[in-house]
Amino acid sequence: MNYTGIALWMFLSMLALLITGQRMYGIIGFVGIATALALWGPETISMPFDAAIQTLNWYPLLTVPMFVFMGYMFSETGIADDLYRLFHVWAGPLPGGLAVGTMAMMIVIAAINGLSVAGLAVGATIALPQMLRHRYDKIMVTGVVQAGSTLGIMIPPSVVLVLYGMIARVPVGQLWFAGFLPGLMMGGLFILYIVVRCAISPHMGPPLPKEERDQITWGERFRMLRAGTIPMVIFLSMTGLFLAGITSLVESAGIGMLATILAALARRKLTWKTLVRTTRMTLGVSCVFMWIIQAALLYSAVFDGLGAVNALETLFLGQWHLSPLAILLLMQASFLVMGTFLDDTAMLVIVAPLYVPLVIQLGFNPVWYGILYTITCQIAYMTPPFGYNLFLMRAMAPPEITLADIYRSIVPFLLIMLVAMAIVIAFPAIATWLPDLYFGR
Amino acid sequence: MTRESDSPLGQPAESAAGIGPAMTAKSELVGRDSSPGSEAGAGVKKLPGFIRAYVRFTDKLGLRVGLVAMALTFVLLGFLIEASVARLVFGVSHMWSTEMAMFTMSAYYLLGGALSEQDDYQVRMDLVYSRFSPRNKAIADVITAPILIFYLGSFFISAVGSTLWALEYGQVNYSPWAPPMAPIKIIMTFGIGLMLMQIMAIFFRDIAKALGRSIE
Repeated sequence: MNYTGIALWMFLSMLALLITGQRMYGIIGFVGIATALALWGPETISMPFDAAIQTLNWYPLLTVPMFVFMGYMFSETGIADDLYRLFHVWAGPLPGGLAVGTMAMMIVIAAINGLSVAGLAVGATIALPQMLRHRYDKIMVTGVVQAGSTLGIMIPPSVVLVLYGMIARVPVGQLWFAGFLPGLMMGGLFILYIVVRCAISPHMGPPLPKEERDQITWGERFRMLRAGTIPMVIFLSMTGLFLAGITSLVESAGIGMLATILAALARRKLTWKTLVRTTRMTLGVSCVFMWIIQAALLYSAVFDGLGAVNALETLFLGQWHLSPLAILLLMQASFLVMGTFLDDTAMLVIVAPLYVPLVIQLGFNPVWYGILYTITCQIAYMTPPFGYNLFLMRAMAPPEITLADIYRSIVPFLLIMLVAMAIVIAFPAIATWLPDLYFGR
Repeated sequence: MTRESDSPLGQPAESAAGIGPAMTAKSELVGRDSSPGSEAGAGVKKLPGFIRAYVRFTDKLGLRVGLVAMALTFVLLGFLIEASVARLVFGVSHMWSTEMAMFTMSAYYLLGGALSEQDDYQVRMDLVYSRFSPRNKAIADVITAPILIFYLGSFFISAVGSTLWALEYGQVNYSPWAPPMAPIKIIMTFGIGLMLMQIMAIFFRDIAKALGRSIE
């Protein structure tokens, strides 16, 4: 068997073993080390720990526990409750207003956390019951929470973009700038959809009843605006210091975490129990990331040793005579398919080393490709069978929301995401304009 | 099932807000095919005593070490804040705080791995798996456990080899600060070994569950 065949066999056997439901890091690591031992003999036993040392030397990985902690702290301490009330009161009187307000809240939450879990937790436990109580269409609001929370990985700070930056060797600062406009654009498209949908069928999102509105005075409404200042201060202290070039990316993440703890302290919401719970959940989620990355690095090292990148290039360019755009679309399609059953971190570490050099060789901008990849991840989060969001939603949503509701709810938002991806492919400037402007190429 | 009541935290991490993977009901260890009339009077068949002792010991150790890893979150934060303050106030960057932060991060997730397994965080491709009953999940895990044990075993051997080499040759990190690598490698090796122990403990639990026996 030639090396390309072995690479293919490695990939297929990994997929086959994943179906058994055994832990992902174990299967990825096993296929890596077993192939290495079989091909190159016992001295390759050093490879698993080499991957651990490689992980140790990857400084930006330190942001993972920081951003995860911030997200959990934010939803655990009730800072998010105030934020929800703010948008509830201000957007509630409009048709579909609560859904629009929830989406706006998701954008704010996305700006202070790097994953989608925190947004989903806040959305499912705070916003969703409220919207159901106000007789919003349950399928639409389930979709709103799911789609909105995925903005967390697009709008900076973003853990997914940090990982992409490490693999593609692109400065994370550029990626964060690049994610900003596409993230807002997607949020805007979601809001547009809600407004249009509720205009066509008003029963899907009735405005707040008048008596409920009258209970809130204008003075209170303005006082509630203060709830928006805490996330703003956290966002500015973290992203501001980083973009001003004062602190490094990782140090900014530390400052963001400290700011979140201080905000919780200032609001007297920080109990010992909350702190311990948040820290334990952070450890759990960070370990998932790190153990998968470690195993996937081992796997990619073996994959690299087989020369799989060159094989793929020859196949696409030399044998199939594809145009660069066709190859790009093919890569996106394969990412989408893989994203439905692979964890996004594993997908990135395994596939990106193959694709990113190819993207650069084809003359595309790797920063722009990072944004396309992130949209793919957003879609992957929501698509069965392996969607983080589906899985978490099932655990967190009120009981009247069934699994079938959750599956049906994502359809319109998936289409919007595909449209957004098409827009970013057609107009790369949406992603590249801001970083080019700031870094002045 | 006392895994959570061992915990000084009082409460499993997942229950309150439901964030994080739902715990599989490990309390369903008592199977239907147990013989109520057995002479021991316990009502349930048990695995051999030394295995039960091993599982208890490993769970406790994993939890203790996991608590240390949780504390490392704040050590990590401390190093990053130190680096920021040094930069902002004194305009200097300390090589050592960056490197110490990186070492801390490695210790954090390797020492915390066992607790993340106890809390059942590690992700699986659950297309088929999620439809199994708890007992069938245990059976599937028992069958595929050799895969995991093979990986972690080779990882551990790999770590021991690298650590012994670092000790023998007094390896230092390739950086201006040049700290010795042996201490962090020993911690990493310990974390990987603990993960292997924890996976073995979960393996025994799954055997017990698959056979319908109690492990307590």
